[in-house]
Amino acid sequence: MKTRHDLPDLAHRLILRAAHMAPAALKERLQEEWLADLESRSGFVTRLRLAIGCCWATGIIIRDFRVPQLAASGVSGGHKPLLGDWRPMLPALSRRTIAFILIGAIHVLVIAAFTSGLAQHVVAKIPEFTHVVFLDEARPEHPKLPPPDNFKPVVRETGKIDLRVEPPVLRVPDGDPDSLTPALGPQGRENGAGRDGQQAVTRAWGGPGKGFPTTDEYYPLASRRLGEIGTATVGVCVDARGALSADPTLAATSGSRRIDEGALRLAKAGSGHYRATTDDGQPVSACFSYRIRFTLN
Amino acid sequence: MGKQHQDVRMSSQTVRVLETFLENPARELAGAEVQRHGNLGPGTLYPVLLRLEAAGWFVSRWESAVVADVQRPRRRLYRLTSNGLARASAVFADFGQGVPA
Repeated sequence: MKTRHDLPDLAHRLILRAAHMAPAALKERLQEEWLADLESRSGFVTRLRLAIGCCWATGIIIRDFRVPQLAASGVSGGHKPLLGDWRPMLPALSRRTIAFILIGAIHVLVIAAFTSGLAQHVVAKIPEFTHVVFLDEARPEHPKLPPPDNFKPVVRETGKIDLRVEPPVLRVPDGDPDSLTPALGPQGRENGAGRDGQQAVTRAWGGPGKGFPTTDEYYPLASRRLGEIGTATVGVCVDARGALSADPTLAATSGSRRIDEGALRLAKAGSGHYRATTDDGQPVSACFSYRIRFTLN
Repeated sequence: MGKQHQDVRMSSQTVRVLETFLENPARELAGAEVQRHGNLGPGTLYPVLLRLEAAGWFVSRWESAVVADVQRPRRRLYRLTSNGLARASAVFADFGQGVPA
C-alpha cells in the first residue's frame, strides 16, 4: 500500500521510464533535463502532471527523431514533425496493463449503467421503436360465385311411418280391476259400455305435455347439415306423474339412425313433462307410443 | 494547423516558444521557465525545443553549476542562435505581429 511519502516517487519513476523509452542518443539528456525540471516543482499533482507530459513527449520525440542520423549528430539532424499524430504513448504502461485498464473501465461503465438505471431507461425506450400502423384500405369484395349447375341438396326421404294402432278396448273383469292390460297405442279415448255387460273404462292416453322439449333442440347436427328429415315412433312408459318409468324404446324407425337416436334422446329428455294417461280422469301409469317428426324449416 | 516555415512547422505551440525567447533573445532559458512563460505543457514543449534545436534555431548546453553543489540534476539551457533569431523574426513578420523589441 502506497503512503503519501511514497507518492512523489511515482512521478520520478514515470520520468525515468519515459526517458528510458526515448531514442538512445537522447536518453541521458532527457532524463537529467526532466528530473531537473521535476525538482523545480512542488506538489504531487504538479509533479505527476509533468511526468505524464514527459511520457507524452517521449512518444512524439520517438516519431520525430526516428531518422538514424539523429544519433550520429548527438542531438538531431533533421526532423519530421508529426504533431498531427496525436496518439498518446505512455511508456510507463505496457500494452497488457493498458488492456487491463480498458477492460476494467468497460466493466465499471456497464455496472454504473445498470446501477444508475440507465439500462432500464434504454430498455423502456425500446418499445417505442415498435409502431403499429392500421392501413385504412378497403378489402376487395369477392364476387359471389354461383352454385354449380349440377348441384342438388341431398334430401333423404325417409317416408312417413304411421303406426296406427286400433285403440284397445279395455274390459275390466268383474271384481278384479288389477287385470287391466296396458296396451300401446296413440292417444285415444274409450267411451261407452262394454260387451257382455261388462262396464267400460274411459281412458285418455297420455303424450307430450307442457314444457316438453322441441325437436329443434334435439335435431341431430349431422342430419341438419345433410338435410335429413324423418319421423320416428318411440314407445314410452309414463307414470301417473308424467315421468318415464323406463327408458324409451324405438317402436318404428325413421330410416335414419341419426334421426332415431335424436328421437330417443328427445323422448328421454321429456321425462316429467309427459301428460299421464287417465282412466276415468284418474292419472295412471301406462305405456304408449307416439311419433316424433324432424323436419327442416 | 500551423504554417510551414522552411523546415519547421509553425504550430501555435512553436510560435509561443519563439515568442518567449524573443522577449529577451540573449537570455538562456530552461524548459521549466519556458513552460511558465509560454503556458505550455511538457508534452508539447520538449518536442518543440528539440525540433528547433535540430533545425539550428536554438543551441543548448548544460548549466555550469556542479551537481554536488546544487544537490539536483543539471538543467538544460536553450538560447536562440543568430540564424534562429532572424528566422523567428521573419515568422512574426509573416504573421503581421511585428518583431518584438
